[in-house]
Amino acid sequence: MDEWDVPQMKKEVESLKYQLAFKREKSSKTVTDLVKWIEDGVPEDPFLNPELMKNNPWVEKGKCVLL
Amino acid sequence: MASEKAEMDSLKKECDGLRTQIEAARKAVNDGSMSSAAGSATDVGRVQLKLRKSLKGHLAKIYSMHWATDSRSMVSASQDGKLLVWDTFSGNKMVAVPLKSAWVMSVAFAPSGNLVASGGLDNMCTVYNIKSASPKTLRELDAHTGYLACCRFLSDTEILTASGDTTCCLWDLETGKQKIIFTNHIGDCMSLALSQDERTFVSGACDSLAKLWDLREGTCKQTFSGHTSDINAINFFPSGNAFITGSDDCSCKMYDLRSDQEVIGYQDTSLNAGVTSLALSNSGRLIFAGYDDFNCHIWDSMKGEKVGVLSGHDNRVSCTGVPGDGMGVCTGSWDSFLKLWN
Repeated sequence: MDEWDVPQMKKEVESLKYQLAFKREKSSKTVTDLVKWIEDGVPEDPFLNPELMKNNPWVEKGKCVLL
Repeated sequence: MASEKAEMDSLKKECDGLRTQIEAARKAVNDGSMSSAAGSATDVGRVQLKLRKSLKGHLAKIYSMHWATDSRSMVSASQDGKLLVWDTFSGNKMVAVPLKSAWVMSVAFAPSGNLVASGGLDNMCTVYNIKSASPKTLRELDAHTGYLACCRFLSDTEILTASGDTTCCLWDLETGKQKIIFTNHIGDCMSLALSQDERTFVSGACDSLAKLWDLREGTCKQTFSGHTSDINAINFFPSGNAFITGSDDCSCKMYDLRSDQEVIGYQDTSLNAGVTSLALSNSGRLIFAGYDDFNCHIWDSMKGEKVGVLSGHDNRVSCTGVPGDGMGVCTGSWDSFLKLWN
């Protein structure tokens, strides 16, 4: 930023004003929503639901594979 | 000269003032924590994955890999000057793309599966058609003035790039021209991730900041700080309301878009290596982070605890990826191997 000129600095001011105006929501709500979203997804997550990993695409089925 | 300096000083003061106001606005909404929200959640226990395949083929360091949307094909890039497209079910190499420049840093698969793109120290992003009889160069996107660190297709006609010249760029593949240039970072852009609705993307840079951009307007909507060194890796959380970053400061962080701040960090005193790459499981509960210590460590994203490790590489893990169906994770390394785990 030390090499910036006046027009670039003015752009930065505009950008910061725009970013300041963002309507922030309370983290008590947003984090609760995030946690709920993850928990709802766990049953469909193959890493966390072994049932879903039963048809493992990276494990050979049957005895031999003809090359 | 003096009046310009005076104007600069007053603008700098204005910037500092605005940044202070942004910090205050963040504090004002920070009334909840991940640890309290996640407190009652069940533990995931120890996550122990098996090495299913070791893909041999590259002759030098692997720098990047990307899954195809079919969750079966995958493309990898190595400084041996080749892109390899793999069928991960058989472990076979399907296509080899020779590169004009061996100094590749990033590779991407188009959602259609027809195209791949790569670039690196040549400052270009080259797009190849891999469905033709032999790989054909479709476009050479040449306008960045710094290395190509990351690229991601939106479709067969648009691609996003992140560059060491501190900008990100949206390109039109039909004309080969830049559509939008995203300027706001003050350090090399290292990584980017598209939101699911493709209206926004996030970028991580060497200025230790992550930024959220409006893809069509070209504006920086939000800036996230907290890291103390280069951000090398960034991924959107599946819900789209958060993203995860990995940094040379040896930590990963989850940033929440709605409250505009970091909500949890992932670090451990025993981990003294930079994070090079990261991927998320489909629910977002697990973070697979590749480190300079040759391992990929697995984190519980909610509880902030290490729950597993993928050991087996003989050099830095440089890239990590989970396919769309979430059925496993791929790690790529400077040891020239790709490994598939689940």
